[in-house]
Order: sequence, then structure tokens, then C-alpha cells
Amino acid sequence: MRTLTFARRNFKEIIRDPLSIIFAILLPLFLLFIFRQFKIPNEIYNIENFTPGIIIFSLSFITMFTSTLVAKDRTSSLTARLGVSPMKGVEYILGYSLSVIPLVLIQNILFFILAIILGLNFNINVIYTILVSLPISILFIVLGILIGTITTEKSSSGVSSIVVQLVAFTSGMYFSLDMVGNTFSTICKILPFRSTLNITKGILNASYNNLSSSIIIVLIYTIITIILAVFLFKNKMTSDNK
Amino acid sequence: MIEIDIKDLTKKYKDVVAVDNLNIQIKKGEIFSLLGTNGAGKTTTIKILSTLLLPSNGEVKINNFDLIKDKMKIKEIINISPQETAIAPNLTVLENLEFMAGIYQIKNKKEKIDTLIKTFNLEEVLNKKAKNLSGGYQRKLSIAISLINNPQILFLDEPTLGLDVISRKELWKVIKELKGKVTIILTTHYMEEANSLSDRVGIMNKGKLIALGTPNELIKKSKTKTFEDAFVKIVTGGLD
Ligand SMILES: Nc1ncnc2c1ncn2[C@@H]1O[C@H](COP(=O)(O)OP(=O)(O)O)[C@@H](O)[C@H]1O
Ligand SMILES: [Mg+2]
Repeated sequence: MRTLTFARRNFKEIIRDPLSIIFAILLPLFLLFIFRQFKIPNEIYNIENFTPGIIIFSLSFITMFTSTLVAKDRTSSLTARLGVSPMKGVEYILGYSLSVIPLVLIQNILFFILAIILGLNFNINVIYTILVSLPISILFIVLGILIGTITTEKSSSGVSSIVVQLVAFTSGMYFSLDMVGNTFSTICKILPFRSTLNITKGILNASYNNLSSSIIIVLIYTIITIILAVFLFKNKMTSDNK
Repeated sequence: MIEIDIKDLTKKYKDVVAVDNLNIQIKKGEIFSLLGTNGAGKTTTIKILSTLLLPSNGEVKINNFDLIKDKMKIKEIINISPQETAIAPNLTVLENLEFMAGIYQIKNKKEKIDTLIKTFNLEEVLNKKAKNLSGGYQRKLSIAISLINNPQILFLDEPTLGLDVISRKELWKVIKELKGKVTIILTTHYMEEANSLSDRVGIMNKGKLIALGTPNELIKKSKTKTFEDAFVKIVTGGLD
């Protein structure tokens, strides 16, 4: 119950400061549209491959504004007030996460509407992809909580933009990772972003081979990030207070 | 009955001892003011007592619960109005109250909120977003929120900072009405406030408690006319 109360407040807080959401939705929509106009002869830019890329890319914006929300609460002493209340670390993480998930859903639906207008075939896999992107978004949300916990309101978006860059360069959404050198391709395999794209792409195109290793990688990252976020958030609560 | 028992409480930051071997016992229902110049260690003390900050050393019992071991039990019976106003900026005044009532899972929520609205005269700003309120209203809201769970112990860190004279007097009235029912630990830089509200005051300087007693006792002890003079004399070391 406490978690829901907190989530409801966070949701209101986010939608009443709509600039960041508009950005997180419009920019990916624009990219999806514009890259279709270029007609680049590479299968990566086929609509059924590029749309999952845009989904993962947009999740990195979710990281960005989750981190800003968390950092803002910390600077404004609201976290101090909540820190005195009987709220638990896990309830914070859940409360922040639940409030952001509806936005992920809205993002996804809009991306697919545009993609279908641009020629994507509508079938049941679209629905599956949307459903699968929700658990994937948890990694990005918690990453945002983690960043918001260790940064300030000012530096949070700067640090989160690293995630945005990492997604762009290591997920394989803009270029095939086979084209690049060995070291870089290894880095991409170690980071979770390529795996998140593999999963969404696989689901949308109903090609389920080789998904298990991607799922395991994303799962491991998600679990580690959650543990780290809960731990650091609790720690910060009792040490932050200037 | 002793409600807060502070023994040898110390908080060290890297190169500062913010709170230095503090020993105070606060009685149930008492209004206790922590005084001292900026940086004396008042906020740090309040943060430790309200479970926000871990002490480096010492032992604190609140209502016979251990501050560290029984933290969750203590949280149920305390609340705080932090030095910086702590409110959710994009929520309205009413939503802020409802939000915190939800966090504390208050049963007679509507009733409690209505009482607070009346007590703090928040009717006319009820549907304004907190971030658009004047500083005075923000502070009133922040203090109103801290009463949402009917705390048995209330920490008020510079509650009247930024309030105009009228609002300040109103808040004094509210605090006086709580006297006897709620144990209140407050900090302030206004000596007439400390004098008129507190049962006892403790004066801190560089983390140490340098004087403790009723305002009148301290006036007598320092052989001054007003409490403000007594404070100045004590803090500047004129007592010995
Ligand atoms: N997070 C912190 N890190 C380092 N020093 C701190 C921190 N918080 C407070 N201090 C120092 O501890 C001392 C006491 O501060 P504080 O408790 O805020 O005083 P007061 O509330 O009486 O003005 C000051 O010297 C302050 O600079
Ligand atoms: Mg202070």
C-alpha cells in the first residue's frame, strides 16, 4: 500500500513536469520517422529491426528522467522526511519503478503506431514485444534510481546521458556489431544493451534462437542493479543529510 | 518519565566533530530547545535522534527503544520538520497531506487532514502546487505534514525560519497546544521564541553541550536581564 501511495505521487510528479516525457517520446519518434526516410540499404534499418532499437533507445531516456526524479527528491529534503517514516528501501525502489512503467507502455504504443504507419506488419508479436519490453524496462528504471542516488540534481542527467550513449553505440541499433573490432564487440557482449535489443528484436520477428543467453545477461544485470540500488539508497539515506 | 535518553552521543565527520559527547535526558511531554550558533551541531543531533543519521559513538534510548536496534519501532512514534522544507513540489497542498497520510497509513485520514488544514490555516492554498507557495506557506505545510501521524515525539529544526511575525505567533500557539501531549525537540535562532516556548533549553557550542536548564535558571546563572543576553554571555564564554 505504502509503495502504491509513493508510486502515485511519483507518477503525478512526473506528468506534471512534462518536458522530460515529451522529450523521451518525441525524440525517438522523430528518429524512427527520419531514419525511414533515408532508405538506408542495410537490414538494421528495416522497420522490424529498427523499431525494437528505438524502444531500447527510448528506455535510456527513462533512465535519465528517473535519475532526475530521485536526485531531486534527495536534494529537496523530501527523502529526509520519507527517511524518518517507516518506509523501507525496497518500497522506494518499487514505488519509483511502478510510477515509470505506465510511461514505458505509452512510449511503446506510440512507437508501434508510427511503425505500423511506416509499414510494419501488425501481428500478435507486436503485443508480445510490448509486454516483454516492460520487464526489460526495469533494468533501465533501476539504473536511473542508482544514478539518481549517487548524483545531484544537476549532474544526474549528465551521468545518465552516458547510458543513452552506451545504448546508441553498444546495442547494435545503428550498426551491426560484427562490423566493428574484436575488443569493442566484446564490450558490447558484456554490457546488457545488446542483449536487450536481441530480445525485443527476436520477439518481434518470432525468431527465438539464441535468446536464452541474452535473457540470462539481462536478468543478471537487472538483479545486480536492484541489489546495488537498494543498498546504496539505504546507505545514502543515512549519510546524505547535509 | 524520561522519554529520550542521550548518552555520550558523538558524531564525527572527516575532520569535524559535529556532535561531541552529548548527554541529555528529555522528559515526556517536555518542550526542549537546542540552541547554538550556526554549525554548533543542532541539526546533526536532530538527524541522529530522528534515525536519519548514524552516530559515530554513544547510545540513545527513545521511549526505551534503542535508536539503532529498534529503529523501525521508533519511526512509528516520531516525526520531523527538517531544516529545509520537505514537501513534494508538484503536488498540491492537499495532495501533499494525503500523500504523507498514505505513507504513514493513517486510519482516520480525512479527519486528521481536516484538522491540520484548520490548525495551520491552509484552506485558501489547498489546491495550489507546493512549489508555487510562498516560503511561509511551504514551511507551514512542512510542519503540518510532520503532525500527520500524531507523533509522540516531534523534531522541529528551525520551524519558524522564514515565517512572518503573524505566522510565527500562530505557530507558537500550535506548539503550545501540543505541550504536555507531544515531546518536542526544537532548534531556533530566536531567543524570545526559545524563552517563551521551552520548558528547558540546551546550548551547544562546537558540538558540546555547554549549558542546560530552564530559561530562567540560565538567566540567573549568567546574571543577565534577558534570556538573549544570557545566551550571548554563555556562548561567548563569559560564564566560566
Ligand atoms: N555531511 C557533513 N559532512 C561534513 N561536515 C558536516 C556535515 N554536516 C554537518 N557538518 C558539520 O558539522 C557541524 C555541525 O553542523 P550542523 O549540525 O548543521 O549545525 P547547526 O544545525 O547547529 O547549524 C558543522 O561544522 C558542519 O559544517
Ligand atoms: Mg541547523
